[in-house]
Amino acid sequence: MADALIVGRVPLIAGNKVSADVTRDVLSALDTKPSALWWGGLALSMSALGLGTLAIVYQISTGIGTWGLNRTVGWAFDITNFVFWIGIGHAGTLISAILFLLRQRWRTSVNRAAEAMTLFAVMCAGLFPLIHMGRPWMFFWMLPYPNDRGSLWVNFRSPLVWDFFAISTYFTISAVFWYVGLIPDLATVRDREPGTMRSKIFGFLSLGWTGSFRTWHRYEVVYLILAALGTPLVLSVHTIVSTDFATGVVPGWHTTIFPPYFVAGAIFSGMAMVLTLMLVARKTMRLEDYITPQHIDAMCSLVILTSGLVGLAYGTEFFIAFYSASPYEQFAFYNRALGPLAWGYWIMVACNVIIPQLFWFTGVRRNLVVVFVISLLINVGMWFERFIIIVASLQREYLPSAWSDYAPTLIEITTFIGTLGLFFTLFLLFCRFVPVIAIAEVKGVLRPAHGGHAAHDSHSGYSDAVTPEAPRS
Amino acid sequence: MPDTPKRYWLSVVERDTPEEVSRSLENGDPEFAPTRRSFLKAAGFTFGALAASSCRAPDVDAIPYVQQPDGLVPGRPLFYATTCGACEARCGLLVTTRDGRPIKIEGNPDHPFSGGSACAVGQASILGLYDSLRLQYPTKAGQRVAWADADKEILATLDRMKQEGRAVRVLTSTVTSPTTAAVIADFLSGFANGRHVSYDPISSAAILEAHAQTHGARLLPQYHFDQADVIVSFDADFLGAWISPLQHARGYASRRRASETSPTKSYHVQIESRLSLTGSNADRRLRVAPGEVGHVATHLAAKIAQRAGASFAAAGLTPSSFDAAIEAIAERLWNARTRGLVVSGSQDVQIQTVCNFINQTIGAYGVTVDLSRPSFQRSGSDTQLAELRAELARGEVGALIIAGVNPVFDLPDAATLSNDIKRVPLVVSTAERADETASLAHFVCPDHHYLEAWSDAEPVSGLVSLAQPTIRPMHETRAFIETLAAWAGKPQPALELIRAHWTMAVHPRAEGGLPFTVFWDRTLERGVAEVGPRPGAGAAPSFNAAAATPVLQPGGTSADGLTLVLYSKIGMLDGRHGHNAWLHEMPDPVTKVTWDNYASLSPETARRLGVEDGDVVRVTADGSSALELAAFVQPGQHDSVVSIALGYGRAGTDRFGRVGPPWFEARPRLEPVGVNAAVWITSTENARQYAGRAVTVTSAGRRRPLASTQVHHSLEPPGSTERRPIIQEVTLAELTAPPAAAPAEAEHPAGHVEGDLWPDDHPLEGHRWGMSIDLNSCTGCSACIVACQAENNVPVVGQDEVRRNREMHWLRIDRYYSGTDDELEVAHQPMLCQHCEHAPCETVCPVLATTHSEEGLNEQAYNRCVGTRYCANNCPYKVRRFNWFDYPHEDRLQNLVFNPNVVVRSRGVMEKCSFCVQRIQENKIEAKRLGQPLADGAIKTACEQTCPAQAIVFGDLHDPNSRVTALAASRRAYRVLEELNTQPSVRYLKLVRHERPAAAAGGEGRNG
Repeated sequence: MADALIVGRVPLIAGNKVSADVTRDVLSALDTKPSALWWGGLALSMSALGLGTLAIVYQISTGIGTWGLNRTVGWAFDITNFVFWIGIGHAGTLISAILFLLRQRWRTSVNRAAEAMTLFAVMCAGLFPLIHMGRPWMFFWMLPYPNDRGSLWVNFRSPLVWDFFAISTYFTISAVFWYVGLIPDLATVRDREPGTMRSKIFGFLSLGWTGSFRTWHRYEVVYLILAALGTPLVLSVHTIVSTDFATGVVPGWHTTIFPPYFVAGAIFSGMAMVLTLMLVARKTMRLEDYITPQHIDAMCSLVILTSGLVGLAYGTEFFIAFYSASPYEQFAFYNRALGPLAWGYWIMVACNVIIPQLFWFTGVRRNLVVVFVISLLINVGMWFERFIIIVASLQREYLPSAWSDYAPTLIEITTFIGTLGLFFTLFLLFCRFVPVIAIAEVKGVLRPAHGGHAAHDSHSGYSDAVTPEAPRS
Repeated sequence: MPDTPKRYWLSVVERDTPEEVSRSLENGDPEFAPTRRSFLKAAGFTFGALAASSCRAPDVDAIPYVQQPDGLVPGRPLFYATTCGACEARCGLLVTTRDGRPIKIEGNPDHPFSGGSACAVGQASILGLYDSLRLQYPTKAGQRVAWADADKEILATLDRMKQEGRAVRVLTSTVTSPTTAAVIADFLSGFANGRHVSYDPISSAAILEAHAQTHGARLLPQYHFDQADVIVSFDADFLGAWISPLQHARGYASRRRASETSPTKSYHVQIESRLSLTGSNADRRLRVAPGEVGHVATHLAAKIAQRAGASFAAAGLTPSSFDAAIEAIAERLWNARTRGLVVSGSQDVQIQTVCNFINQTIGAYGVTVDLSRPSFQRSGSDTQLAELRAELARGEVGALIIAGVNPVFDLPDAATLSNDIKRVPLVVSTAERADETASLAHFVCPDHHYLEAWSDAEPVSGLVSLAQPTIRPMHETRAFIETLAAWAGKPQPALELIRAHWTMAVHPRAEGGLPFTVFWDRTLERGVAEVGPRPGAGAAPSFNAAAATPVLQPGGTSADGLTLVLYSKIGMLDGRHGHNAWLHEMPDPVTKVTWDNYASLSPETARRLGVEDGDVVRVTADGSSALELAAFVQPGQHDSVVSIALGYGRAGTDRFGRVGPPWFEARPRLEPVGVNAAVWITSTENARQYAGRAVTVTSAGRRRPLASTQVHHSLEPPGSTERRPIIQEVTLAELTAPPAAAPAEAEHPAGHVEGDLWPDDHPLEGHRWGMSIDLNSCTGCSACIVACQAENNVPVVGQDEVRRNREMHWLRIDRYYSGTDDELEVAHQPMLCQHCEHAPCETVCPVLATTHSEEGLNEQAYNRCVGTRYCANNCPYKVRRFNWFDYPHEDRLQNLVFNPNVVVRSRGVMEKCSFCVQRIQENKIEAKRLGQPLADGAIKTACEQTCPAQAIVFGDLHDPNSRVTALAASRRAYRVLEELNTQPSVRYLKLVRHERPAAAAGGEGRNG
């Protein structure tokens, strides 16, 4: 049991916490007045969100022409951002579902925030397929609903239809999963200050949680089922997103490697984003004891793994292009590395393959500033990966007569900034109003000497992940 | 009523409202006061009405005719044969009118020039009819005036001039209309000093002058390219903008088709300094400096004379660096003898006499060069023009009537000319628009658009055609001949004038002895009649060999200097269509640039000057006039040449800055389209010169990116191991080689792929539409692009949007170069929706907006499209076009040109070539109504219908006897990107080359 709780004989939660400390520490953000930093961050995020909203309103009222697209490059910033955000979401699902099933107990400190990140990222992602349409007000035509247009159905061959299903399923499952995981903590908040408005709201949201064994039992079964449902989504959502490209005939898109390549890339970028957010949250919300260098170390290891997978995919693409003997395929990759967007390609290679190799060094993994910088660079690199795949492939296709170039307009850039604004606005609000760490779960991984009885309950499967004790104030 | 207080009113409404009502409103009379119920009723109605009105567009009632015109069935088109007025070539047209308005121009199938085709300019000229900037009434000093008043004042002034014996001049372009010529002559006969001066903005006077010298008759021969086996062209862009391009292109194309059964093709040599459209089609192209053209021609003449044993005084001829090439050309030309043809677009009379000598020596006169039925399409005299300018400068002219030309725009030294014109006591212009010259006129008496007018034409001797109105004149305009007849004191309707002239001068030339009314009616219906040659023109003149003056040494500029070559573009000609948005948006067939003129430089010269495409350069001629325009790098152009198109920079064309969608990053150019290069035209004694002026070119340090629809990219891109098989070629020898020798893949039955993932979910029964495009015939003339635009209501998007690669043309012509600058070969490939059997676009559309029809069409349902653009991304041919904006359709007059059978697409939907599905349906319905099977060729797509080279064939691939099925079985047939298993319905027929160029042995790169 000790192996499950302790990585390298260092406790998962530092500072010799007892359960009461956990509750107090995590919920302190809800009790104290927000710092100037938080207000500043919120102001910045909401400004970005406001700008983005203006850009979208302008674009929808004027036309897609306000983007830099043309007859040859039909997708660029829109779908790049879509895939970028969807990818970021994947780490949350991975942490909450797969790592849960794999009994990676270090996840308890980060899973709540990672799941929230997933939710917000999917919101940002879902925006793009909507607004990238020429006539977004007709978006519901993408749904197979009964209608009187001669029973006009959707095209089930089109990956875009599956995208629609995948994203909506993903959002639903992620939201439910996040919410179910929140219930014990909501009850904790409820019970701390009975009679207050907050208590009433949280009481309503906690769905009558009693903390009885029966409740815990039901809860854990549901959580396990949702984890099991969420696990295939980690693979399926990005697989379907990748088929948007893989089923196309565009050289550089039409490759069977895309599903695993995209999933690996998604987890890679998501991990980087979790690192970014956690490092900030840890510092600003004084959660150093809960998000320890151990957690960072574990995530860095996952980053090395996924970086390697992504690098392998890059190499494989080039090899297959060479091996295919298809002049179009070969040129597509020549163009990536040496064409007009070569600068983007090399940013991508540097950020995604070369720089993460620094994580092989313990010193780098333990230097949180360096980890933070690298996590940001990976996010940049992964954005460029999608941009290069989409734009560099489209702009130099089969007929040289139709080749073209692409440059984003102000509207596109502002729209992207707007989704960053949306993401961080939601995340900052989340930090203020919801327990940012899964209190109940963390209580289960406290040091055996100081923790609750759960620590003694070895080899009992998932039940030790949470502490079936009544929350204390 | 003394008690009534004085009533004050604030508005007329208040004053006129009965007093009790207004008082009750003021006092809150319960009858009018709103109750809660009435308020709710009103509110409910308001919200209901608001909601209802936002649900759908307002209905517009279609009101039936009270008295239906004869022969008009609503929704069914009527066709009128008429004569094109877009240039002096005067081809025959068939104009489609629907519900009383002309909407589409096609060639008259009965006309020998057109044979059903029309060029890009002719087709686009319909847009001019609906131009809201056309003058709508006569003006005096810019102010509206009634016709009667204008006539009275003009007549009074003319009378004064007559009394004073002042000169009266009528200045026109070449007059091809016999009636107009007669009316002008009649008008001028009333004046002691009256003269008709005609000039051509793009002059061919040197040919006429040369024939005056060598043949004793100032004539422009008619060239029969359809008779020529070997064509040698010295700088004549005869497929582009030279004299009668449609006639030439049809004749030329008829000798260019090569098939397995008839593996022959004319041999075309182009000797030129810039790359013209004609040069891009040549089998052999010599890139010579402008000054060298005459020298090369003289060498050719000497070699021909040597073979013929004729004497040719060419002593002292310096050797030419092209001697080997000229020798080979001479051999071919001599072998062809009477089937040879030498043409020259030069304005140097000396060169023209040398060409006449060659044509005479090989016996081409009477076969390919026809002097017995000469052309009247360019009869302007540069000598007379020079005299008129001198008269104007001396202030001798009392009245100047200007019709059909714009001298202030298209002649050099415009400032002097306009000053001289201002000094003339009476200047009358009949321009359709307030152009540069009309703005100087005292009176502007606007002529009809030619589609509104009665007229006639005799473009070549013995071929007369009638032009009839296709719509009642839309504005208060008046035909030029009516105007002149009125001023001659014999006001008559144009129809009467023409009938009178035809009774007298045309009908007697007709054979067959038909009564006049029958002859007239038949000609009117058919549009054209062949009559005897015009008396006095085109006897068989004798040849005076001594008049051929050889060019003994190459002229030219200093070693480092650049020579200016002015040319006219296929769309813009001399600038008369400068207000036509379709023609501005039509890419130049060679450069693919729209909406601008530019200084073309050879790649070597551009490198030397350090300029790239879109860099602004300052072109200075003789240190005097300087103009700034964008540079364009043109492969195949001579290193010493700067070539610039004429016809640009028309006043008022800054209107097109507003043609594109308004949005905040739009960068429209709010200045005239291009710059006017006419300032650089020079004159020699009898011909205006467009080439040869020494210029210097310097970079202006700015950029003005050109709006080009295609940039330079190679078919063998860097890093690839093989050339993309998009353009395929065979040689004449390979064409006739036994099938065994042919490449195996050519025989491979395409369309059956092992393990095909495509289910047979759209079985095709009945028709299966397909197309065949002969790359060997296609000259790249771009008539199909305009045909498609007119037929399918394709929007014009403007320069800024084209620069952003958002042109909307459903049909484009891809141009690929191969070889070196000296041995440049060009291929033109019309590219449109390929209607793939396995269409990549169809699988990816999430909402099934693009689907396959039972007849093999790839259909686009605009209503269903939500605009994901996935289909366009997935189209390997990149033929799908997206409506990025709501393209402006505010000009209600302009909107009349829309084809009512094709929907105007809204913002946010994808569109593309439909194989003119509206024509397919129309003909299917017609066949069904008649109870007949649909005949092959009954359905013609707009592009096929107009193609002068007849390169496009549309038909049913399921019909074993259709032309398209036969062509699909040809050994030349291939499909572009067939290896993707898209199974296109469009088959291309390989280009046929006479032989492989030496450079091609190693598989040369082909650059686009």
